[in-house]
Amino acid sequence: MSEAKSMSPQSQASQTLAFNMKLLAQHEMEGFGGMGEGINMQVTKDGRRIIWMAHESAPKNFTALDVSDPRKPKFVIQTDLPHGDVRSNSLDVVGNTMVVAYQTKGFNNKPAGIDLFDITVPEKPKLISHFDASGKFSRGVHAVWFDDGEFVHMASGAPDFEPTHDKDDQFYRIIDVRNPSKPTEAGRWWMPGTRKGDSVAPPPRLKIDGGYRAHNTNVYAKQRPDRAYVGYIDGGGYILDIKDKSNIKVVSRWKNAPPFNGFVHTVMPLFSKDLLIVTEECVRDNCADWPKLTWVLNAADETNPVPISTVPLPSPESFGKRGGRFGSHNLWENYSADCAWKSDNIILATFFNGGLRAYDLSNPYQPQEVAYFVPGTPKLSPKGAVQINDVYVDDRGVVYCQDRFTGGLYIVEWTQ
Amino acid sequence: MDAPVLGRSALSGRIPVSVVTGFLGSGKTTLVNKLLKRPEMNRVAVIVNELGEQAIDNDLVEVSSEQMMLLNNGCLCCVLRGDLQETMRDLFIKRRNGEIIDFDRLVIETTGLADPAPVMQTLMTDTMLQSQYRLDCVVTLVDAVNGLEQLKTLSEPVKQAALADRIVITKTDLVDESKAAALEAILRELNPRAPVKRAVNGEIELAFLIDVALRSMQSRLEDVERWMGADNAEDHGHYGHDEHGHAHRHDTNVTSFCLRYKEPFTWASFSQCMEVLGTLRGADLFRVKGLVNVAGHKGPLIVQGVQHLFHPPIELEKWPSDDHETRIVFITRGITQQTVGNLFSAIASVAPVAAATAST
Repeated sequence: MSEAKSMSPQSQASQTLAFNMKLLAQHEMEGFGGMGEGINMQVTKDGRRIIWMAHESAPKNFTALDVSDPRKPKFVIQTDLPHGDVRSNSLDVVGNTMVVAYQTKGFNNKPAGIDLFDITVPEKPKLISHFDASGKFSRGVHAVWFDDGEFVHMASGAPDFEPTHDKDDQFYRIIDVRNPSKPTEAGRWWMPGTRKGDSVAPPPRLKIDGGYRAHNTNVYAKQRPDRAYVGYIDGGGYILDIKDKSNIKVVSRWKNAPPFNGFVHTVMPLFSKDLLIVTEECVRDNCADWPKLTWVLNAADETNPVPISTVPLPSPESFGKRGGRFGSHNLWENYSADCAWKSDNIILATFFNGGLRAYDLSNPYQPQEVAYFVPGTPKLSPKGAVQINDVYVDDRGVVYCQDRFTGGLYIVEWTQ
Repeated sequence: MDAPVLGRSALSGRIPVSVVTGFLGSGKTTLVNKLLKRPEMNRVAVIVNELGEQAIDNDLVEVSSEQMMLLNNGCLCCVLRGDLQETMRDLFIKRRNGEIIDFDRLVIETTGLADPAPVMQTLMTDTMLQSQYRLDCVVTLVDAVNGLEQLKTLSEPVKQAALADRIVITKTDLVDESKAAALEAILRELNPRAPVKRAVNGEIELAFLIDVALRSMQSRLEDVERWMGADNAEDHGHYGHDEHGHAHRHDTNVTSFCLRYKEPFTWASFSQCMEVLGTLRGADLFRVKGLVNVAGHKGPLIVQGVQHLFHPPIELEKWPSDDHETRIVFITRGITQQTVGNLFSAIASVAPVAAATAST
């Protein structure tokens, strides 16, 4: 008897769903296809396109594939972590420099911080330096943003930072890497009340307590070198004035919780449209924290961002039971590198078992879904459904997205 | 190099639709029910009027609900209830929600008496359906036993055959060869651009019923020729260069011809020509398909219409070959090539920028 007969809806997680997108190739990362939320591209001197990806968890650190021919990705290198209680999860690449995050399972463990690598020869990444963020109350670094080649913006703990709550350990830190062999802190900001000794009371815990800490810390140096767009999980989204990195000020804060379940992940500006795209992250399986939305905010007045729509998602009735998480997570973030595709009109976002979805924001009050790609359950998937975690788009229009557990990398093109 | 513009393509970003039509008793239900079981129907949704006598064996059915059945070859069979437009919308929404299989092709069986024109027009003008689906192909079934008589005495079967991209003669096992050949000759005369196949007991390959219309903004010459029917027209591949229009010995008065123009049109002058034709002779303007060279556009504009209604034009990324002449195929009832040519010349003379003069 087939699997379908035992299910009432006719949709099956094993079925690939695609609209206006086509799979070019899948790479299972030599059997370690559980990928995090760090994916970026390097164009080497000899013109090869190398895609670098951080693994979601140990034992692997990062993997590089040559995607010059997106139909035939070629394995370049895969590295190991020193032990099982650390994960990289996040990385970024500018030119021939790569920054990799390290976060430990508990406090006071190592490595917890960032590594800088020289990847001029992708087959032989050379460690330039390690910036240590470990400490008595630190798990190190969860996510990095490195786009201008000068500063790393990150969600990080610090040896001198004691949070008022264990979940509030990672805050916004700026690391100056202009001398990559000697990274130094250039600035930091945390939500008032999250550090012991703050003059304000700690923030109230949400029903589903995700913590008050930084996640994505985007800075677009070409357009607004004086602004950081920070997802602060249960604290909502912040626009920060970083003109003086040593004296960071709040421009505005937008809160989704309550009534929603917090966990603001990314705040991405679309400058030409005066919009912010704000994603929440789904962190519970089977829609236990539904809804997890991707918001469109009007930010014409950056001191008062106003939500105007959310992107249309498929119904939780259909996807909630497919297995694993279903809801918003990462965005394609318009990196500034020449090899990165950029658009203020089309956004691409990942939704775990809802796959990769693209929206047209020509009318920001009514975002239109224009494409999606939801791979069928990857082999050996522990969740029984794909969990698309992050996305990259190159200047050829080729789209890369990855599974959180076993599926590795999916390379997709828009049908033309 | 400019960054690629990602978004939905007006051709490849739409689900192709094949329309199966034919007069009462022409064997549509038999053909569709046979088709449902073929292995290549994976990821195809079919809207049927009814499940005929040879309805689906239970052991072929994976899942079924009141209105839908998922067959074990991956084909989704959906019984039409009420309005076709509603059914098509519902299918798309369910597909988007992941509630039904991710079909990437739709086959519609029309009702027996149906004039296929309204179904085709719906796909061209219903803005919601148009943004999800595109017309790929009209397949007309003609019954070998009664076809000759029907074509002589009734107007619907004539129109069905004239509108077709593909024609299937059914029940050829029930008549002698001379009768089948006579019917085939009449059909070829009526619609010389549509390939004709014979089918017994509904046995036909899916491949004959699909991939006719342009599928990509980067369509190639052979795609254009397949769509416009150049490879079947009796003018040996030169679709219309010096074609005189097919003389109609038969009293259907249906004719087809191709016009070609060297100089580019302005969109205003071209659309004016079509508007005049549509307004004054819409009922007789069965089908128009064309590649139009419009000044200021990089690629040709794809134009298609059924009677007085036209699909919004779609610009291909580039011309499929060095031949940048406008070429338009007309299938009409009683409108001659000369009449249409004169109209184009007249409008071109009013709008000299257009400089549209027939190249023949």
